[in-house]
Amino acid sequence: MSLWLDKYRPTSLGKLDYHKEQATQLKNLVQCGDFPHLLVYGPSGAGKKTRIMCLLRELYGAGVEKLRIEHQTIVAPSKKKIEINTIASNYHLEVNPSDAGNQDRVVIQELIKTVAQSQQIQSSTQREFKVVLLTEVDRLTKDAQHALRRTMEKYMGTCRLILCSTSTSKVIGPIRSRCLAIRVPLPSTEEVCNVLTSVCKKEGLLLPPELAKQISEKSGRNLRKALLMCEACRVQQYPFSADQDVPVTDWEVYLRETANAIVSQQSPQRLLEVRARLYELLTHCIPPDVIMKGLVTELLSNCDGQLKTEVAHMAAYYEHRLQLGSKAIYHLEAFTAKFMAIYKKFMEDGLDAMMF
Amino acid sequence: MDEYDELFEVPDDFDDQFADELDALAQMEDESSKLGSRQKPGPGDDISDIEHLLVDQPITPKAKRQKQDAVRVSKRLFNSLQTQESKAPSQSDDITPPSSPEQYEPSRTARSTPAVLDISGFATIPETPRRPPTAAPASLHVLRRPPLDGEYISVTDSSGSRVYLRQKDDTGTKVVESRMVPNSQGALGLLAVPISVMREQEAERHHHRVVEESQRLSELLASSVNDVFVEPESREDKENDDPEDTEGQTSRLWVDRFSPRHYTELLSDDFTNRCLLKWLKLWDTVVFGRERKSRPARFDRQAPNQNSFKPNQANPNPNRFKSKIEVTEELLEAELDQYKRPKYKVALLSGPPGLGKTTLAHIIAKHAGYNVVEINASDDRSAEVFQKRIDTATQMKSVLGANERPNCLIIDEIDGAPAAAINILLATLNKKDGHGGEAGSETAKKKKKKESLLLRPIICICNDLYVPALRPLRLQAFLLNFPQTQPSRLAQRLAEISLRQGMKADTGSLMSLCEKTDNDIRSCINTLQFLHGRGHKQVDSKTIQCISVGQKDQNKGLFHLWQEIFQLPRIKRKRIGQGFEEAPGSGGGAQRFQHILNLAYSSGEYEKVSQGLYENYLSMRVRDPNLQSVCEALDWLSFSDRLNQVILHGQNFSLMRYLPFLSVTFHFLFAHTHVPRISYPHSQHEAASRLVSCKNALCTMLADIPACIRMRISQLSLTLDMLTLLLDIICPKLRPVNPQLFSSREKEQMRELIDTMLAYNLSYRQDRTPEGQYAYMLEPRVEEVVRYPGLPPRRQLTYQAKQTISREMEQEKMRRAEQLMLQRNPVVKEKEEKKIAGPKPTRNHQQRLENIVKQTTVETRPEVDFFGRAVAPKPQRLQTSSDTGEKCPVLSMGTAVGNSDVWFRFNEGMSNAVRRNVYIRELL
Repeated sequence: MSLWLDKYRPTSLGKLDYHKEQATQLKNLVQCGDFPHLLVYGPSGAGKKTRIMCLLRELYGAGVEKLRIEHQTIVAPSKKKIEINTIASNYHLEVNPSDAGNQDRVVIQELIKTVAQSQQIQSSTQREFKVVLLTEVDRLTKDAQHALRRTMEKYMGTCRLILCSTSTSKVIGPIRSRCLAIRVPLPSTEEVCNVLTSVCKKEGLLLPPELAKQISEKSGRNLRKALLMCEACRVQQYPFSADQDVPVTDWEVYLRETANAIVSQQSPQRLLEVRARLYELLTHCIPPDVIMKGLVTELLSNCDGQLKTEVAHMAAYYEHRLQLGSKAIYHLEAFTAKFMAIYKKFMEDGLDAMMF
Repeated sequence: MDEYDELFEVPDDFDDQFADELDALAQMEDESSKLGSRQKPGPGDDISDIEHLLVDQPITPKAKRQKQDAVRVSKRLFNSLQTQESKAPSQSDDITPPSSPEQYEPSRTARSTPAVLDISGFATIPETPRRPPTAAPASLHVLRRPPLDGEYISVTDSSGSRVYLRQKDDTGTKVVESRMVPNSQGALGLLAVPISVMREQEAERHHHRVVEESQRLSELLASSVNDVFVEPESREDKENDDPEDTEGQTSRLWVDRFSPRHYTELLSDDFTNRCLLKWLKLWDTVVFGRERKSRPARFDRQAPNQNSFKPNQANPNPNRFKSKIEVTEELLEAELDQYKRPKYKVALLSGPPGLGKTTLAHIIAKHAGYNVVEINASDDRSAEVFQKRIDTATQMKSVLGANERPNCLIIDEIDGAPAAAINILLATLNKKDGHGGEAGSETAKKKKKKESLLLRPIICICNDLYVPALRPLRLQAFLLNFPQTQPSRLAQRLAEISLRQGMKADTGSLMSLCEKTDNDIRSCINTLQFLHGRGHKQVDSKTIQCISVGQKDQNKGLFHLWQEIFQLPRIKRKRIGQGFEEAPGSGGGAQRFQHILNLAYSSGEYEKVSQGLYENYLSMRVRDPNLQSVCEALDWLSFSDRLNQVILHGQNFSLMRYLPFLSVTFHFLFAHTHVPRISYPHSQHEAASRLVSCKNALCTMLADIPACIRMRISQLSLTLDMLTLLLDIICPKLRPVNPQLFSSREKEQMRELIDTMLAYNLSYRQDRTPEGQYAYMLEPRVEEVVRYPGLPPRRQLTYQAKQTISREMEQEKMRRAEQLMLQRNPVVKEKEEKKIAGPKPTRNHQQRLENIVKQTTVETRPEVDFFGRAVAPKPQRLQTSSDTGEKCPVLSMGTAVGNSDVWFRFNEGMSNAVRRNVYIRELL
């Protein structure tokens, strides 16, 4: 527990630093001792998990924090063994079904059902339901999500589901309608700065507000990242200076360079180089949609206003295809090539207009 | 044999060169002449059972019986006829090879020079000699056609040629009549119709039939396309004789019908044929017990001989492959092993399908005097069955039936056999003879295992020599690779077949057929038959080009396909007079479209193909300033990816048919006249494997992170947000001094660092770099996950710092482990606390010693005082007194012992006599 991130994580709903209104709402929700299935969504680093754990603690008390990791082996109908790690306390079970890849449906069916079917003993002293926390629900396959539908209704008596995802767009409608959706938005820049300052104060450090602002901007208001950046800054150079350069993640730098390469030249050769870079990103476990998003953001900031709508349109088109297909590199490259074509045409037209 | 030599008068070197073939031929000759000599003494002396039956039981003789009867006789007659005619080229040289020597000789004599002996490989197939259009003179009594008037007997020899004998009222009929006479004269009335009437009717019917037949025949002749060539009536007649056979004949594939029956008719490369035959002849010593002909001078003479006869051969191949030939010859010259077997126990024929490998193996084995036993892919080839079959084939011999020839095992399509089966084959090859050299006791021991060693030749046939399962076999086998059949030879044969079947075909179109099928004999003949069956009587190059039948499902290899896609076809000059169409891909757009589509369809590996296209299309030299075609290509790629996804996900395989269109699109977008330089697509596989290794690193890291932290992070957040920064955080600036000299703040920093590293399951491990230097590496190799090439390197700790951290971490780990252990056993912990709290560390031992002493005293007392109930109270009192009395010395002893840190206790049967609790904490 030595990273600031872990050290200063709030553990109860009352201690949360921002979105306090929501925190009180959650508190009220739990106060009556019961709550519906929840779908907590929001961008990463906004504090979804923190909120959920606070909620559970509010519900069950400190016992929720006694966690253990369980390695579970589930045998699929095809006799294939699926190994999955779950994190469990006496009161809840956390699973990331997308770890099982294509077989996540089996995980949902087997694991959750076994939990849901078992009754809590001594229900007089405890809550009469357990909580199953599913993370990265947006990466579940459709099959698995459909498997979840009935389970959610059938075992309402013994089990509550808390789904955690970054966006609701990939959660199918039936599940969305069964859950109380809770959006956890990113903290504002000020809120990030406040958190950083307070953490530094607890550490006995003095954080210049300029640096705090810089960090919060560079982190994209992702609080997890912001705290890590702040700590990295501390390691880099202690007496903080306001214009200290903040370490950033490598993949973002690499992606930015890739975008610059696309803008600077448009030719098949350049496309080949870009392909190599895209491969590099993909092999470093960066999900293709994140690459696509980063690429579009960078490209949009680089190109002319007239082109922006078209580029955004193309990006949406290829992102959709990316989701439908399985070979990300084709779609990423297709987008790149399309952008190159559009951009090149625009530049040449502009040049022609200049000439005449 | 003598006769043979006389006929041939072959030069010495020729004899030498082709000795084995000649042997084979001569052997056949011998066999058949034996057969002939048996027949010679005429039907009276030496008649078969049937003849006996015929003679003994006088039944109403039918023409058929008579025919049978006459076969033997006629054979002789025929023979004499042939010898008479030998000067004139009258032999009906059937495609189906005659097997009897009588037939054989004339055809031999017809060609007098050895160059025509079909061994040279050029003059090859004997053009079917034209028969004089007229039938044989009537004076000979033997007719080639059924006589129109009068009765006749048709006589068929074993090879299927048929002659007709005019029937006269001679002894044969007389005998019959004389036998019949008593019957009819006896007026027993057994027959409703008098026999004479029946005979007349029969004769009339027969006559009628003959007339009909002849009419039909003449019609057929008239309609025959080739006026000069006359279809052999013999075949037609034979077909007419029994309708069932006719059906069988027509339903049979031409491939089978016209398959070579004789060594000299093989279409395959002569060198290959000869090598295989030679190899098989090497077995003669062990199989037939024949001594191998010693040809000591042979090898010396070899070189000049080769030179001398090669020009005659006019075969372009031998000069090119001379070195290889020599190597093979040498192999064949190698000495036999101790069991008089050839060095290579197995021959492995390899080559593309349709070249006649199986046919060759069968024919050669038959010619060398073996009985062929074949195992092919249609048989079960699991290990046990295979073993059984090999054993049966190599160690047994058919006792039933006439052919008591030794077996020759032919394993066809061995490239599809499982590796286990091939291992069994190898084991069979390498079997050592147990009875020969080894001692008796050993043989008894290994009795079960011991089997007789392999004494029969085995020929294996495969398409792909480089199947992994065949690797061990390749080393032990006599390898023979089949070259392509020469198109000229094949075309010649095709021409013959088509003529026989009444199809008109010119050489040019047949050549184009050969080219189309890649000289695949089977496919060529099948195509011909197909055309024939569909009513084409004339084959020209256009039909050949149009049909898609002759095309094999060719598997040209991916590189070929990619090349075809990325290269515009060269415009071929039309070959004059040959009737060649342009090459299949060179025409207009539609033709190219079809061509590429066909290729893509037949390759089947759409996934690989599209990968290859993807990897190579950008390096093609195509003018594409606006990147339009690149965009389109990528759209197609993403479409095909989607298609694939749908196919695989929904198992909707009917959509597969749309996949090859990708290749067509790429062809039209990127094809260029230059020869493309195509590289094999590796990148996707590489990317996949790197992705896996990265994921593994992350998983190992995640696996051991304690639960309270584990629940906060996922793989995704780890890669996207945390890892880079985390690696920065664990690289603080450390003063390069001994950690003992750190200031308190530095110590705190160090502690935090180690805490973090332990929490995130990171550690340093000493590793030796390939250069021989030691370096500390971060243990789950997550550095690779976050580092990108071309970016400025992150700050690294020095070796010393890492070493320090590593050591501190080890200590911390031990401390934690100990703490954990203490937590698990609270008793120990209690003691621990007491020990820490208590001022005297020796108290423990003291207490324990006291306990021990007490126990022994308490235990010994009752034992001593056990006897008698009456004395019970007394000893008790006594005990208390003695207890108090004894306590003092014991205690004093205990304290004496307990004063020191080290104490001894004797445990019977235990070796840990000296013990002391030492904690890691005290050492650190």
